[in-house]
Amino acid sequence: MSLVPSELSSKLSIAVSAADFAPAPHQAQRERIVRPSLSYWQDVWQRLCKNRRALSSLYIVIALLVFTLVGPWLWTQAPALQDLDAISQGPSWSSSSALVVEDPGTWPGVQGALRPREEADGQTLGATASLAVAGLPSTQYVRLYWEAVNGAQHYLIYRNDHAPESNQDLGLPLGATLTPDTLSFEDRLQLRPQTYWYSVIASDGFEEAALSTTAAITLQRAITASQARERGLDDTLGAAVALPAHPFGTDYLGRDLLARVMEGARVSLFIGIVAPLLFVSLGIIYGGIAGYFGGNLDILMMRVVDFVIALPFLLFMILFRIGFGIGPGESGIIPMLLALVLLSWPDTARLIRGQILQIRGEAYVQAARVLGAHPLYLIFRHLVPNTLGPILVTLTFAIPMAIFTEAFLSFIGMGVSPPTSSWGSLSNEGIRTMLSSPHELLFPAFFISLTVLAFNLLGDGLRDALDSRLRSRE
Amino acid sequence: MRRAIASLLHTLRCYPQRCLVSLLLLICALPALAQNGVDYATQTVRIALTGEPRNLNSIRATDQFSIFFLEHSMEGLLRRDAHFELVGGVAERWEMEGTTARFWLRHDALWSDGVAVTAQDFVFAWRQVVNPDVASEYASIMYPVKNAEAINQGKLPLEALGVTALDDYTLEVQLEAPTGYFLTLMSFMVYYPVREDFYLAQNGRYFADVKNMIFNGPFKITSWVHGASLRMEKNLTYWDAANITLNVIDIPYITNDSRARFNLLKEGKLAIENGLQGLEAEQLRDALANRMRIRSHSDGGLFYIEFNHRPERITHNMNLRKAMQAVLDSQELVYKAIGIAGYIPGQSLIPTYMNGVHDKFRVEYPVQMAPLDPVKAREYLALAKQELGIDKIPPIAILCDDREVAIVAAQYLQSLFKRTLDLDIKVDVQTFKLRLDKAHNGSFDMAVYAWAPDYDDPITFADLFASWNANNNGRYSNPVYDAYVRTVQGTDNQQIRMDAIGKIQQLVIDEAIILPLYERTANTVQDPRLEGVVFSQLGAGMSLTYARVVQ
Repeated sequence: MSLVPSELSSKLSIAVSAADFAPAPHQAQRERIVRPSLSYWQDVWQRLCKNRRALSSLYIVIALLVFTLVGPWLWTQAPALQDLDAISQGPSWSSSSALVVEDPGTWPGVQGALRPREEADGQTLGATASLAVAGLPSTQYVRLYWEAVNGAQHYLIYRNDHAPESNQDLGLPLGATLTPDTLSFEDRLQLRPQTYWYSVIASDGFEEAALSTTAAITLQRAITASQARERGLDDTLGAAVALPAHPFGTDYLGRDLLARVMEGARVSLFIGIVAPLLFVSLGIIYGGIAGYFGGNLDILMMRVVDFVIALPFLLFMILFRIGFGIGPGESGIIPMLLALVLLSWPDTARLIRGQILQIRGEAYVQAARVLGAHPLYLIFRHLVPNTLGPILVTLTFAIPMAIFTEAFLSFIGMGVSPPTSSWGSLSNEGIRTMLSSPHELLFPAFFISLTVLAFNLLGDGLRDALDSRLRSRE
Repeated sequence: MRRAIASLLHTLRCYPQRCLVSLLLLICALPALAQNGVDYATQTVRIALTGEPRNLNSIRATDQFSIFFLEHSMEGLLRRDAHFELVGGVAERWEMEGTTARFWLRHDALWSDGVAVTAQDFVFAWRQVVNPDVASEYASIMYPVKNAEAINQGKLPLEALGVTALDDYTLEVQLEAPTGYFLTLMSFMVYYPVREDFYLAQNGRYFADVKNMIFNGPFKITSWVHGASLRMEKNLTYWDAANITLNVIDIPYITNDSRARFNLLKEGKLAIENGLQGLEAEQLRDALANRMRIRSHSDGGLFYIEFNHRPERITHNMNLRKAMQAVLDSQELVYKAIGIAGYIPGQSLIPTYMNGVHDKFRVEYPVQMAPLDPVKAREYLALAKQELGIDKIPPIAILCDDREVAIVAAQYLQSLFKRTLDLDIKVDVQTFKLRLDKAHNGSFDMAVYAWAPDYDDPITFADLFASWNANNNGRYSNPVYDAYVRTVQGTDNQQIRMDAIGKIQQLVIDEAIILPLYERTANTVQDPRLEGVVFSQLGAGMSLTYARVVQ
C-alpha cells in the first residue's frame, strides 16, 4: 500500500504555517559560558593567590625591593659615615640627647709635690686618700685626680664595668702615669653613658701597692664643641643637642646599620637578580638549541655542559679577579657576576633540553612540523611557552642561590671592598663582635635569611601553581 | 678480671642511663685532660699563635714569630735572664775596649747533637749575615762590626769582616767605631752562631723543617706542622738546662681567630693569651665580664703608616703626605676607633719608653708635632696636585694585615681622608705573611706597618729610614737623614748621638716620612698557675724560657 502525501497530512493533521519556516530569533543567552574563561596564566595566578605562603613571600619580596630602592631616599644617613662616639650602639628608635662639652686636650692635669718614702718608715705603699673627678664626667673624657702617696714612683689607673671585688678584679688597665708628680689622668677610651668603677693604685716602680682606691663615676652622654660645629649643631658649651637615632644600632666604627643594610641590599639583590636572569637566559638558549636539533649536536653540547659543571666556582672567581685586574681593595662584584653567569647556566640548560626533547615529540608539534612550520615558529609558539613553568621555577630558586653565593663570597672577603657593604660583608664584620653587640650580626643575617626564604617559598608556590597535573586534580 | 667485667655488665644492665652519662663525660673529658693549657706534672705550657714563623733561619729571620722561636731555641754570646738583665750566654766573660771586644766562650756550650759551640760558628754566621748573596734584611744590624757595610755592598770579601776566632773558644770583634750598645746586640738573633758544616749540609733548607734544625738554646723545636702547630721541648744538651723548669712549650693552635683563641683560654686549654700581641677589644670585654685579671705591658711595637717613597709612587710627593699628616689625629684613632686599653697615641718615630742620655728620650727631646689643621691640609693637597700636575689624586691603596686592629685603623683612615681631603683610599687586606712580602717588595702606596726595637737604644728606630736599611720598605732616601744616622753610629758620646736622633725625630715629622699611629700595649690574661713569664719591649716580647707551672 502506498500512502499519498495528502493522506498523510490529513492523518497527522499538523498545521504547518509559513511562520514556522522563518529563521529562529537570535538567542544570545543560550550558549553563555557561566564561568569566566581562564587562561593558563590567570589560572596559575589564582592558584598562587590561594597559596598563602607563596603570596606572603611575594609580598616580602616586593617589600624588600621597596626597602632597597626607596629606603635610601627616606633614611638619609650616609652608610659610610663614621660616628666614633656611637661605636657598637644597640638598636634604638629614639634619638639621644647629648651635652656639648669643651674639646679634650685643654686640661693641664694636676701636678703634686713629690712625696718620697721616708727612709725610716719601712712600710708598704698605701692607697691614695682620695680619688675625684675634675669637671663633669662625660663620654668625651673623665678627668681623674688623686692625692699623692708616699714613695710612689707612678700610679696605675684601672677601669671596670662592675664594682671590683679585689685587687685582682680592677678591670681594664688604662695606663700608668709617667712621672711621680703626675697626679691626674684623663680617660678618653670608648666611654659610654654608664657607671664606671675607676681604681688608682700606687707603684714604687717594681711592685704595685696592696691597696687601691676605687670611685664609682657615672658618665653623661656628651659631644665636644668642635664635633657639634662639624655637624651643624648648637656648639655653646652646656647646650643639649639631639643625636640621630639608629633603629638597627651602629657597627664597630659607629656607622648606621640601617643605612648599611640598605646599601648592602642593593649589592645583594643586584647580584641576586641580575646573575640568575643572565644565566637562566643563557641556559634556555643553549638547552633549547641542544634539545630542538638533537642528534650529534645535542651530544656534543651536552658534553660541554658536563665539562662546565666540573669547573670549580671559587677557583674561577679568583681567576676572573686576576684576569680583570681587580686590584686589592677594589670591588669584586663584576668578576663575581661573570663567574656566576659563566658557571651556573648548565643546570638550566639541562632542564630546558629535557623539556624541549619531551615536547618536541608531542603530536601537536609533529603536526605543525608536517604542515611545514618554520623551526623558529615551532620554538616560540610551541616549545618555549610550554617550558615557561620550569623556567620560572628555576629562576626563583636561582635567585636565593645567587644571593647566598654573594653573601658567602663577601663573607670570606672576595666580594665588595670597604667601605661598601653587602649583607655578607656586614655579617663578616658583625661576627667579630657577636657576643658583645649581637645586633651587628643579627640584622644582616636576618635579611639574608628572610630573602632566601621568601624566594624559596615563592619558587615552591610557583612550581605548584604551574604544574598542570595538579590543576586537573582539583 | 672476670668479676670486674661481670660487675660492669651488671651496672650497664641496671643503670644504663648513668653509664651513658659517665661515658659521655669521659669522652668529653679525655681531650680536655690531654690538652690542658698548663700541666704541673709534665711542666707543659700550651699557647696559641696568630701566625707562623716566616723564616726560622737566624741569618735571615725578621718576623716576631720567628724571633719568638729563635729566642727560645738558640743562644748568642749573651742572653737575657729572668729579670731581663743581660748576662753571659755562650760567652762566659767578655771585655770591651774602644773598638775591640773579646769574648771567652764557655766549654760546656753544646749544639743539640753534642758538638761544642765554637768561636768559628760565630764567625761563619756573622759573615753570612753580611754576605750580599744571602741578602739578610737584618744585615744593617751587623754594621757596627768593622767592614760589615762594605762587605754587604760587595766592596770587600767576606773574610774582611772584623771578627776572628783566636782559638776555638776565644772570639775577637773589631768595631767600625766605638759602639755603646754593641753588647746589647749580642742577644739578638742575627748574632747567633751557625755551624758551618751543618748549614752547608742542608742545601739551603737550614731551619726550613725540623730535620734541618740544630739548636744551642734552652729548647729545641721538635715538631712543626706547617700552618697548623709547633712544639718545643727542653734541650737537654743546653749548658744551663738545670735552670730551665719547663719541659714542653706546645703551640697546638695557629689561628688568626681571636675569638676562638680566647674561648680556648676560657676552657683552660691555653696558658696565656695573647702574650705576643695582646687581646683585642672584644676579648678584653669578654675578660672583663668574666672578672679575669688583665695584665698589661708595653710590647714595644710602634705602629705607623709607612709611605712608599719610590719616585713612581704618588706617595713620593711630600705635600700629599703632609696633607694626610695634618688631618690625622692619632688620639681619636686610639681612644675612639681602636679602643684598646693602654695603647698610646703615636707622635714620633721614637716611642715613649726609649731611653735618652739621662732620662727618657721623649722627655729630653719633646716632639714638635705638626698641628692638626684641615685648612692647611687642603693647601698642602692643592700644592701636591699642582706639583704632580693632576686635578684629582688617583685612588691610593693602604696595605694592612687581617688583624682587627689593623683593619679598624685602615678603615678609619679611609673614612678620614675621604671626609677631610676627598681622597679615595682602597684598603688592601692581606694575611700577615703576605703583607710582609708585599711591603718588602714595595708593592704598596701606604702600609700599616709596625716596628719593634731590636736592642735597647733609640737608633733601633732612628736608622729605619736610612737609605741602606733593608727594612726601609718605602725606600726613603735622604742624604741629610743618612748623615744623622752616620753621626749616631760613628760615636759613643751619648749627647752627640741623642742630639742627632732628636734631629731625625724632627725630620720624620717635617717631611712626614711616616705617620705614627700608636704604640701598642699588650693586654694579656693568663692561667694563675703559670709564673715567671718575662715580657719585654725587645725581640719577640714574651719569653717562656724561665717560666714554670706551679700547683
